[in-house]
Amino acid sequence: MDASLLTVQPTAPEPIYRQIVEQLRRLIAGGQLVAGEPLPSVRDVAGFHAINPMTVSRAYGIAEGEGLLERQRGKGMVVAATRKATQTASHRLALLEPQLQALARHANELELPAEPVLRRLTKLLGEER
Amino acid sequence: MNAVLREMESTVAPLMVSGLVHCYEGHNVLTGVDLTLEPGSVLGLIGRNGAGKSTLIRLMLGLLQPLAGETFVFGEPALQLDDATKARIAYVPQQPEALAWLTAQQMFDFIGRFYPRWDAAFAKRMLERWQIPPNKLLAKLSPGERQRVDLIRALASQPQLLVLDEPAAALDPVARRELLREVALRAGESGTTVLFSTHIVSDLERVASEIAFLHQGKLLMRCSVDETKERYARLWLPGKMSAAAPVNSLSRRRHDDGSLSLVVERDAHGQWPEAANLPGARVDALGLEDLFVEIAE
Repeated sequence: MDASLLTVQPTAPEPIYRQIVEQLRRLIAGGQLVAGEPLPSVRDVAGFHAINPMTVSRAYGIAEGEGLLERQRGKGMVVAATRKATQTASHRLALLEPQLQALARHANELELPAEPVLRRLTKLLGEER
Repeated sequence: MNAVLREMESTVAPLMVSGLVHCYEGHNVLTGVDLTLEPGSVLGLIGRNGAGKSTLIRLMLGLLQPLAGETFVFGEPALQLDDATKARIAYVPQQPEALAWLTAQQMFDFIGRFYPRWDAAFAKRMLERWQIPPNKLLAKLSPGERQRVDLIRALASQPQLLVLDEPAAALDPVARRELLREVALRAGESGTTVLFSTHIVSDLERVASEIAFLHQGKLLMRCSVDETKERYARLWLPGKMSAAAPVNSLSRRRHDDGSLSLVVERDAHGQWPEAANLPGARVDALGLEDLFVEIAE
């Protein structure tokens, strides 16, 4: 994996470390990054995007804590072989948490009751399958 | 013994000021500033033009005497630094420094002798990269080129404390990105402590580990960039609910239609003020720039 695969938007309201974690979760859950694939070093990511190396370390640390990455001797961080975090439905659901919270917030702002929102969401989910 | 000394050196704050008060032409610039920089941190200092950022920097380095308050550099009183401590610091002011009768190369050859860790190869490489003629008198360079020479001088001395006053002004986007990369990697790998002032907020969001917002003579919101983004937001309340607005907010702006925008902060449990849960209320996450504009306006 190359450092340029990650995108960083410094001006976004979301902190950069979270942007990186979010992208790693997606790339791994979606299979674009496969087990054993080495990640670019903290230095490469920080240098490429001109960001603080501590930000990258923090993101890698969180992804490691979630079981997405593991440290391998001589190789640095690699995509974890077991990928525990992506296996259970509840972990995959957690990936949607920010979008679900935003949806709930917008629905409340529009003073919509839960039922029509859920009906519409159920329909959309059915159509996508 | 050396190990003990090194240990002590690595824990003493590179910069520390307390109760700093300063006036300029009878006008209060700083009205009580406290600030400590931890080793290896990158502090971005932000504020409106004329907020006193440059004055604060000069006071912290002992280049100005404050009306009141104390300033320390590596634990020494800033107004009486010895040469060994000065060699650990590099400062790039907004206005180019003296020695204009030398060329860039002569200045580097001269200055390099005073710095035990001077990196001549780096200085040469950067002069080429930033397209500065090494054999032209500094006085004949443009102000932008002069500041770039100063930046190279500062970085080549491999300081433990790097202080940059509006470094972005003289740089095009490519050179600015290169400078940020240098700053970020040196802080992360060599433990260089960095203080830089800027009005380009996205630069700060990239490399700063902490921000300090100088506003009306005081430092507001001294915390990490990430924490700032997670902890503050804009709360919008429709006019009919403005009575429910929380009393404690960092800024408050009433719109023509009677609605209200406030900058609010999460409480100790990570919750927004109660008014955020009212029907019709809206909480918007803010980038740093929006946050500063809300507060400074």
